[in-house]
Amino acid sequence: MNLKATSRKNAIHVMVAYTGGCNGCDIEIVNAVLSPRYDVEQYRVLLTWNPREADVLIVSGVVAWQMVEPLKKIYNSIPDPKGVVAVGACAVNGNVYKNLVGDIGQNEEIWAPVETVIPVDVKVPGCAPRPEDVIAGVVKALPKILEAP
Amino acid sequence: MEDMPLFVLGLFASSIVAAAIAILYSLVLPGVERKVQARIQQRIGPPILTPGFWSVLKFGYKKRVEPNAQMPGLYRSLVYFGIGIVVLLFLFTTPYWWAVLGWGSILGIAGLLKLEEVLYVLMGSQSQSFLSTGMPVPDIAKGSKHIGIKREFVEQHSAERALKMMAIGSLPLYVALLVPFAMARSTMISSVVAMQNPGYALSSDWLSAPIPSSPVLFTLPGILAAIVYFVGYVMLLNEKPFSILKAKIDLIEGGVLEYASKLRAYYYIMRNVLMFALSSIFVTLFIGIPFDPFVPVMMLLNLALSLLLPLMLAALVAFSPILTFRQIYPAAIGLSAVGVLALIISLGV
Amino acid sequence: MTSGEKRVEIEKELSFGPVHPALIEPYRIRLFVNDEIVEDCELNINMAYRGIEKLFDGLPVERALLIAERVCGICSHVHAWNAVRVIEGGLKIAVPPRADYIRVITHEMQRIASHLILFGHAFEVVGHETFAMRSFLLRESFMDLISYVGGNRVMPSVPIIGGIRPRADLTESLKRVILERVDEFEEKYKGYVARIIEDPLVMSRLTGIGFLTKEDAIKFHATGPTGRASGWDYDVRTKMDEYKPFDFNVITDESCDTKARIVVRALEVFESLKIIRQAVKNLPEGPVVNRSWKAEEMDFTTALLEAYKGELMHSYALDSQGRIRNYKIRTPTPTNLAAMEHACVGDHVTEAILTIASCDPCLTCCTRAEVVDSGKSSVLSDLEIVRKYGWRK
Repeated sequence: MNLKATSRKNAIHVMVAYTGGCNGCDIEIVNAVLSPRYDVEQYRVLLTWNPREADVLIVSGVVAWQMVEPLKKIYNSIPDPKGVVAVGACAVNGNVYKNLVGDIGQNEEIWAPVETVIPVDVKVPGCAPRPEDVIAGVVKALPKILEAP
Repeated sequence: MEDMPLFVLGLFASSIVAAAIAILYSLVLPGVERKVQARIQQRIGPPILTPGFWSVLKFGYKKRVEPNAQMPGLYRSLVYFGIGIVVLLFLFTTPYWWAVLGWGSILGIAGLLKLEEVLYVLMGSQSQSFLSTGMPVPDIAKGSKHIGIKREFVEQHSAERALKMMAIGSLPLYVALLVPFAMARSTMISSVVAMQNPGYALSSDWLSAPIPSSPVLFTLPGILAAIVYFVGYVMLLNEKPFSILKAKIDLIEGGVLEYASKLRAYYYIMRNVLMFALSSIFVTLFIGIPFDPFVPVMMLLNLALSLLLPLMLAALVAFSPILTFRQIYPAAIGLSAVGVLALIISLGV
Repeated sequence: MTSGEKRVEIEKELSFGPVHPALIEPYRIRLFVNDEIVEDCELNINMAYRGIEKLFDGLPVERALLIAERVCGICSHVHAWNAVRVIEGGLKIAVPPRADYIRVITHEMQRIASHLILFGHAFEVVGHETFAMRSFLLRESFMDLISYVGGNRVMPSVPIIGGIRPRADLTESLKRVILERVDEFEEKYKGYVARIIEDPLVMSRLTGIGFLTKEDAIKFHATGPTGRASGWDYDVRTKMDEYKPFDFNVITDESCDTKARIVVRALEVFESLKIIRQAVKNLPEGPVVNRSWKAEEMDFTTALLEAYKGELMHSYALDSQGRIRNYKIRTPTPTNLAAMEHACVGDHVTEAILTIASCDPCLTCCTRAEVVDSGKSSVLSDLEIVRKYGWRK
């Protein structure tokens, strides 16, 4: 394996963008995944809050109206190669907010799924997904990053 | 005079070897630091090479992006200056440079450290990341109580904090640096090392390893100064608890927010080399073991002892919160007072 | 100046969010500062607006529970429970005592998990990573218990109308596991709290900032631990029938600062442990769900519950077909945040963010409403603002 892929495999910086939803996935990602029990750092995944540093963007939540432009901007500021992991049923298909509506018929306030705003590479379903699933999702996003020029 | 070309050749050779070793070695330090923290936090933590070596390499392979800065060219160049400053800072403390124009003295060290601190002010005033004021959310449309007020980027606020840290935060380190020089009654590093380690000379043979006979560290002013030096080291590296100018929770990363891909790799190198250089300077000045690339045993001893400060730093980072200026001012003044006390004792000895 | 009014000179504005390490949830803090001192603060809390209350309108009441639980991912059980309490109160549905006990057990378990999230988050904001990690590690044992009871770590879905889901019934072995875990947790947690209180650096960061007097707490209606840390002895649990059988204290603190808000929560966890022990030991036998009810027309009914952050109100009516009309949720966070907006004035910038975090803001709870007045929107929704003014350049 060449040096480029090895270096990319050995240091993965992950950024979390939470775009409105119920908070559950967010807590699972930030707190459970980084808690000593799951500890992603042992798999060479480091958390960052700066898009300029990130490789993988984890997006959770339905994309609320006001979060559309920030999300696009965050995505655009991540230097290539980059991957996007959509975590949670909200990010994958809009969950109850999109699919379980009463008289109004259609929820115009949210832009879920995340795919409609930025390209998504890996989808991790679940409400809320287990921390193990999130880690597996980040790993699934790796081949794209490793093979990029 | 006929030694001159030979000396210049040696200077170049030692500089290249020393700089290369310093950069490579410094890339291991963040991993060690992170590992120690992780073990304190009861988790496994990243492999030693991940936060330093592999991260830097990976950022080197990322695609270049233009930073959002007022003057992108200047902003980019700051990190090159930074690397230059920290590498020179380290080289000035290696034996070949001691004889060159008096740079191997406290003046060289203090001057370069001050330049290093100025860089953070410049970086902060240049960088304009969208993560704060520039975030495209309609917040003004809500009708604010305060209209027409200057909206600052967090990096600019970081620059203001950097100025304050320059004024007060770096004082302890400089006072502590003075102590070994005061004890040697000289401004040159060579006399400080000669005082502690008389057996050491530039012309000694390759495998000799003279053990310092009277390290400054084991005297009363020395130990006081060493404590002050350590806290000053943390302040100069802007690590917790003195990381207010890049506090993650309000300024995210401060002035270095916009460094991406290769520039971020260079920034990592700059920070890590500074971490190593200050640690190596400590070993040189307080224990009397200089980093001499042509005496491998001395060099290895220096490298090994240079782990001391980063390890202590890691433990401190794991056990301390970020302090605000409410606590930093008294802490810096108190520590400077201890440093001055050590200085007075050392002058009296 | 002759008038007693103090003129506030504001030098500049600093704004953080919506994607920011200290916030995590999407909201925006605008701090108006002089040098390092916060002179005024403005919070924009509408970034996660999903129009939830509107979604309820016209849904059958059982299905609506699914949405009610997803109002918030930290206090999912509270919302689910309060949503069923509304209809149980309105249609006089009797709930078996065993179901009530299990609801209370889940409630207190999630309260502990929620308080531990706050500690983790607050210590991350303080900058003390080790304490934050330790808090998340402690929390994991309760996340496990919640998933044993309900089947999911985050959305246990324990309450249904008339009782609890039969899956969430506590078996004898699970009761034993809960008691064991609670003992184990209490021992570790005691050590954790002691270490926090004995840490001088952390305490110097927490003490003496973010003052909120009792009068202000009542004025802003800062409920829950936030109000109790200002000496306001107000806890909905003391008035609830479900909590009658249990013996517990309401923790208050008179010191009114950020430290008090942390300490009150730290001590509340012990009270929750007490309640869990009593409930598990005295768990009555019997059925767990009463299915003999029918959705029929119901007038507006309100239910109050002590959520982990303060007082929670759910209110709705049912039409003749049993569909939900005019759902209204009032969560504790908007009022608590308003109080924090007031409390953080005079702090350093870094401390102001800690003060705001110390009320345990849960933004997803509070950004769910659209003010609807007789079928007509009386305020501009965010969508309309964007359409009218466009994105700010």
